Amino acid sequence: MTTTDSLAAAPAPTPPVTGGIDARGVRRRFGSVEAVRGMDLAAHPGRVTALVGPNGAGKTTLLLILATLLVPDDGSVRIAGYDPVTQPEEVRQRMGWSPDVFGLYEGLTSREYLEFFAAAYRLPAGDRATRARELLALARLEEYADQPVHVLSRGQKQRLGLMRALVHRPEVLLLDEPAAGLDPRSRVELRELLRGLAADGAAVLVSSHVLSDLEELADDVVFVDHGHTVGHHSVSNLPRAVALRQWRLRSLDDALLIAALTRLGIAHSPPGPAGVDVQVGLDTEAAGLLAALVRDDVPVVSFQPVGGALEQTFLELTEERS
Amino acid sequence: MTLDGVRTVARQEFMQRIRKGRWRWLLAAWFVILVAITALVRLALREAGQEVAPYRGSVMYGGLMILVLSLSLLVVPALAAQSVNGDRERGVLATLQVTRLSAVEIALGKFAAAWGTTMVFLLLTAPLVLWCVAEGGVDLASIAVVTLVMAILLATVCAVALALSALLARSTTSSVLSYLSVFVLTLGTLIGFGLATAMTQESVTRSFRHPVYYDEAHPPPPPSESSRELPPTPLRFEEGTYIETRSRTDRVWWLLAPNPFVVLADAAPYRPRCYTPEGWTAYQPLQPGDVPPRHQCDDSGIDPLGAIGRSVRELRKAPVSDSGDGRIAEYADREQGRGAPVWPTGLAINLALGAGALVLATRRLRTPAHTLPRGQRVA
Repeated sequence: MTTTDSLAAAPAPTPPVTGGIDARGVRRRFGSVEAVRGMDLAAHPGRVTALVGPNGAGKTTLLLILATLLVPDDGSVRIAGYDPVTQPEEVRQRMGWSPDVFGLYEGLTSREYLEFFAAAYRLPAGDRATRARELLALARLEEYADQPVHVLSRGQKQRLGLMRALVHRPEVLLLDEPAAGLDPRSRVELRELLRGLAADGAAVLVSSHVLSDLEELADDVVFVDHGHTVGHHSVSNLPRAVALRQWRLRSLDDALLIAALTRLGIAHSPPGPAGVDVQVGLDTEAAGLLAALVRDDVPVVSFQPVGGALEQTFLELTEERS
Repeated sequence: MTLDGVRTVARQEFMQRIRKGRWRWLLAAWFVILVAITALVRLALREAGQEVAPYRGSVMYGGLMILVLSLSLLVVPALAAQSVNGDRERGVLATLQVTRLSAVEIALGKFAAAWGTTMVFLLLTAPLVLWCVAEGGVDLASIAVVTLVMAILLATVCAVALALSALLARSTTSSVLSYLSVFVLTLGTLIGFGLATAMTQESVTRSFRHPVYYDEAHPPPPPSESSRELPPTPLRFEEGTYIETRSRTDRVWWLLAPNPFVVLADAAPYRPRCYTPEGWTAYQPLQPGDVPPRHQCDDSGIDPLGAIGRSVRELRKAPVSDSGDGRIAEYADREQGRGAPVWPTGLAINLALGAGALVLATRRLRTPAHTLPRGQRVA
């Protein structure tokens, strides 16, 4: 597939970033396993950048390096203009990080939890309570403010953890799987919150598997696989390969549908219980196909895209390598 | 590093501990055990006779402090041995490390919380100490010194347990090793000292003089005679030799020095008293020619702290080069006093151990990290 080849080639050169995140040629080895072997990533202030890749691609390791927790073996990293290895203190003042899995302090209340982190981020003593109250309101956790954190549901804990990362109003935000465990409403709120932070000038980096969410959230997307950066795109400008989407057709009469598709010269999967999958390019082509099928009296009951554009790209990029 | 940062970590850690476990029960059990044992000691002393009465309190106090130290050494590893890797396992350490708190602040804060909790246990013994004071014979200086030394010794154990929890990935491993290090400090030093002492054994040839009353020229009177008394003056003195096997504990006493019980006992101010027909008097150094009223002095070892302290100082002394006359040797021994104190060495070893442990813990908490313990995730 030539289209994928061009995608997998070296990412488009990015201009130097002054704020935000700028990582180049990052490598990190754990014993005999090289988890990250040459990743490049740029996340600009005012934009939400998605970090997408299969399990074990090195996303979490890269985030740990960006979050001043791990020293990279090689490569250069700048967070808000500072080097996390030599200037971790400057980076930490400006960076918020929330890992994919984290715990909360048992026995503390939500309010105490946030006030503790406000102190840990050296907010002035007088501002801590106010900041905690603001964040509890933002996370819709006011009614749980004085409840011990262990009574919170998984999604509520996730929201509280995100608030922890925001305590010191960071200009760079690193979020590992922030949507995990969130209900649909919370996902929408998360999206709005992150969009709002980006609008205020923060550089937001989000790693996630829930690609349909990212599509509506992210401005840019960085694809990683096997420790490499395999693609670096603006979501509004995903390459042609991505536009080739998969659509799923269900008809009352599979035989009629297959016959019509064959006549129209459209490649299709064998009919299954879910229906028949076809590859169609742009939305206009999809509309044309549907019109043609209806004209041919094929009893179509449903015609819908399978997965999102990001998901398609993701699958294509990773399929090639696995 | 700021004090505020240390306080932030310590307060949070302390609050969490208090709310989490069944502290009220643990503290109540601790108090009940101490009351019971102190009461038993008091009952036992009722039978001990008149001489003990004036310093009964100090005997009770010594026993109580040894008990408190023993129990604390059991409790402390449980308080500190999971403070870092337990946080790591619960996924709360990395989020703390990315804040503006430094590794030193996190390490010292966690240390302060563990130590502070230990001090709560120590504080609970205050009513019992008052009881001992009421019984009489307890020096206030002794209470101050013992409390301070106990706090330092427990701080050492806290620091060691904290370092182990920072160095090892699994909290169960660090707990086991913390108890093992307490074992090494207490029984291990004792065993080591015993084995080392056996190796220091040496044989010395001693000479002695003995009186000769009869010889060929002056045969003893025939046995039929009723008088069996020796002549008033010996004919002469003869030199003899014998081989004595002795242990040079003065070469290996330092193996015992870091033992917390030894440090505590030897550091406690000791004021021996003697019972004379006029009543209790302060101990006076013996003058040559005095018959030591040894059995009448509380040197006899009924005060547990004093007894341990005296024994270790005894071990530190070089053997007395006596000339064969038992009494003279004893005088020489008494005149030499109690021997050099052992506790400064022991306390120094403990302080060095604790400081080293804190440095190690801090280094392990420092991020960004180059290496990770085997099988450990950062977050």
